[in-house]
Amino acid sequence: MNNGTSKNPILLLLIVVILCAYSSIEFLGMRKPDLLIPSKSLTAIKKLSNYFKGMKNTSADSDIYFFDSGKPGGTVLLLGGTHPNEPAGFITAVVLLEQLKCEEGRVIIIPQACLSGFTCTDPLEGYPSSFTVKGKYGDRKFRFGSRVANPLDQWPDPLVYQHYPSGQKLSNFESRNLNRCYPGNPEGSLMQQTAYAILQLIRSENVDVAFDLHEAAPEIPIINAIVAHEKARDVAGMAVLNLEFEDLKYALEISPVRFRGLSHREWGDSTTVFPFLMETSNPIQGRLRGVTNEKLVLYGTDQNYKKALESGKLRIEYLVSGEPLKLRVGRHLQAFLAVLSAFNELNPDKHITVSKVPGYHDLMINGVGFYLN
Amino acid sequence: MLFWIYYIIAAYILFLLIKELFNEKDFKVQIAIAISLIPFILRIFLIK
Amino acid sequence: MDLIILLVIIAVFAGGILFFKLPAGVALAAAALAGAIAAGEYFPVRHFVEGTFGFLDPVMIIAAAMIFMKTVEATGALGTLSYNMMKYLHGYPTILMILITLFIMFPGMLTGLSSTCILTTGALVVPGLIAMGMPRPAVGALLAIASVLGMIAPPINIPVMIIGGGVDMPYIGFELPLLIATMPAALFTALYFRFRYLKTFDITEVLAQMPHPVHDRHGYKLYIPLVFVVGAMILLRVFPEYIPDVGIPFIFIIGALLGFGTGEKFNFLVVSQKAIRESAGIIAILIGVGMLVQIMTLTGVRGSIAVNALNVPVEYIYIVIILLMPAFGSAYAAASILGVPLVFVFLGHNEIIITAALSLLAGIGDMMPPPSFLCVFASKMTGVDNHYQILGKSVIPILFIMLSGVLMMLFSSEINSLIQAIPFGRPY
Repeated sequence: MNNGTSKNPILLLLIVVILCAYSSIEFLGMRKPDLLIPSKSLTAIKKLSNYFKGMKNTSADSDIYFFDSGKPGGTVLLLGGTHPNEPAGFITAVVLLEQLKCEEGRVIIIPQACLSGFTCTDPLEGYPSSFTVKGKYGDRKFRFGSRVANPLDQWPDPLVYQHYPSGQKLSNFESRNLNRCYPGNPEGSLMQQTAYAILQLIRSENVDVAFDLHEAAPEIPIINAIVAHEKARDVAGMAVLNLEFEDLKYALEISPVRFRGLSHREWGDSTTVFPFLMETSNPIQGRLRGVTNEKLVLYGTDQNYKKALESGKLRIEYLVSGEPLKLRVGRHLQAFLAVLSAFNELNPDKHITVSKVPGYHDLMINGVGFYLN
Repeated sequence: MLFWIYYIIAAYILFLLIKELFNEKDFKVQIAIAISLIPFILRIFLIK
Repeated sequence: MDLIILLVIIAVFAGGILFFKLPAGVALAAAALAGAIAAGEYFPVRHFVEGTFGFLDPVMIIAAAMIFMKTVEATGALGTLSYNMMKYLHGYPTILMILITLFIMFPGMLTGLSSTCILTTGALVVPGLIAMGMPRPAVGALLAIASVLGMIAPPINIPVMIIGGGVDMPYIGFELPLLIATMPAALFTALYFRFRYLKTFDITEVLAQMPHPVHDRHGYKLYIPLVFVVGAMILLRVFPEYIPDVGIPFIFIIGALLGFGTGEKFNFLVVSQKAIRESAGIIAILIGVGMLVQIMTLTGVRGSIAVNALNVPVEYIYIVIILLMPAFGSAYAAASILGVPLVFVFLGHNEIIITAALSLLAGIGDMMPPPSFLCVFASKMTGVDNHYQILGKSVIPILFIMLSGVLMMLFSSEINSLIQAIPFGRPY
């Protein structure tokens, strides 16, 4: 081998190693946990591995925050961060966790249900890896993760994902999507184990009402909606009416029976809980979105969606003024309160009462940062 | 288990690609091989 | 603004290929870099690096499949099999061509990956077709088209799954619509190449030009690796409950290792090195496409293309679909970026038929420039220097595929009622 041919490869190899090393700083930085500062009424912190031992020492062993009023009543569970690229779900859980006071019954919060997904971003999507909310007590930085679990935690994907136990086929990366893995499988993949642990939590803590907070692209038909299991139809219907008094329009969708693996279907089918999944409109998840950056996470203004809305071609849920984080978090909080109050009305023996939780209008006036510690 | 099997397959492909980088004479093709190394290196070091 | 970025990307890509004679993968990476600079993002290292992961799974499949193919070539199994196929079927050229087309499609039907078709069964038929006097670019075109159809044909169709993932539609009830989408096109392709390019030939001369069969020396054990790989893929589909999905790359690697002792002697390291040498260009293309897609998403160009496509007046929407779906140069990219919003545009029509048709049109994308990924592959297999020759020979079958896609969309409800009328046609 002469000199000219072996010098170039070494140089190229060096450049590649430098590029890898440089980007590793940001990739590895995503493994640092987010700082969450719970309110004073916190009574306990547990982990998913308390409900399924197999999760111990895995990167999906998420924290679970308990707020026990000490008074009898029902139990509510709230999941944020099922999809770590849907920040309103995560941040709603954070606001609750940092503000909440529980007056009757119990509140359980898992702010980062798919903890593994918070450690990376999806290739090809161009997502920012974090976003910063200006808080009352300083800036708060939060991770913006991947819709699905980190491939380093669950690799390789099967050629086709077969849901357990139904055998329903979905595309391969959905095997890493927590919200396609319920009711889970203790012998299965990390996400199936996570789903199983959450089901175990619902069973052993006798959860009465459970929320799974999401966001979706503006062109998806179930935006600004509450998806409920059929047994929770009355509660959901009443909540949607309550929300209309607050000038918030919500569509009520009943969980499709044929589509397996989703929280609102499988939680309801395998336990006694009343499950609710809520969606807000988030342009950064849309396929039509323009420049993809932190600003789009926080302010939700996008020229392409404005254009698409004006064309009238698609049924799009998008406000010309944008869909800022405070609006999306506000909607989730208000809907959470509305469902709880509807549940309380229909279940007088299982009251769950919370206080100090800001509603939609509070968020719109004060912003998200005002409610962070 | 399956993870480590795929880890070994990826490591083997990385090894072959690096070997090919040194066998290749054309600088332009060397660049093509070099960019192909990136995901394999980061996967082998369990970074991404 | 988005238009300027897009023009810069196209200019750098075309210039890189035409003036600087860069490999397509490098030209794609350069286009990504230029796009980022034009958008004022300059050098977003993290996004370039992250983009290279976009198609890592297909890259692993291609590398493993190539290692497998080079192994069975080295043992002599490949040559023997195509020799025998020629020897016994040469008397029925029309049937032979239909069988060959379906044969090439077969691995794609099982895996949903177009590249496996060219690399496995495609590679098997190449020597025979060339020996039969078919021009090399035409052989390449047949390979590429049949691979597209194999990827789209049931039971596994990944573009449909990608669209389904975007619109929350499970992968149920697609078998018949996908057969309707692919089988007429497969038949047309087989007959087109049969009557256009297959001349009369002397079988003894053809067989003399082919690699010598080694069956007599090794017996049936020669086929163990091939039987294992095909068998594993079928069993995985038929008994998914009992057989763990270990993934396609692993199956290929085991298949390659099973080659030891079944035929002619070979050195595994040398064979795999050869495999990587031949697939390095394609691997770089997939890595480069990943970088480019990531930058196009980051800068908003990807979204602008989609939103402008949707804004076209209804009368022209089919023209846009025909022109734009394949133009993404990748079936997966087209399905995800345009396929998902288009299903919403056609809301109210039969979603399953529409999605099946869209996946067919997206599938052609795997042949189209800039990457022309299947044509590059086919040119490697057939020894054609310029892969655009292969694209040229594919024009008429491509037009037929486009036509069947549009007809399916236009008559989606009629096709659906037809399917419903067949007793086993209903999903359940």
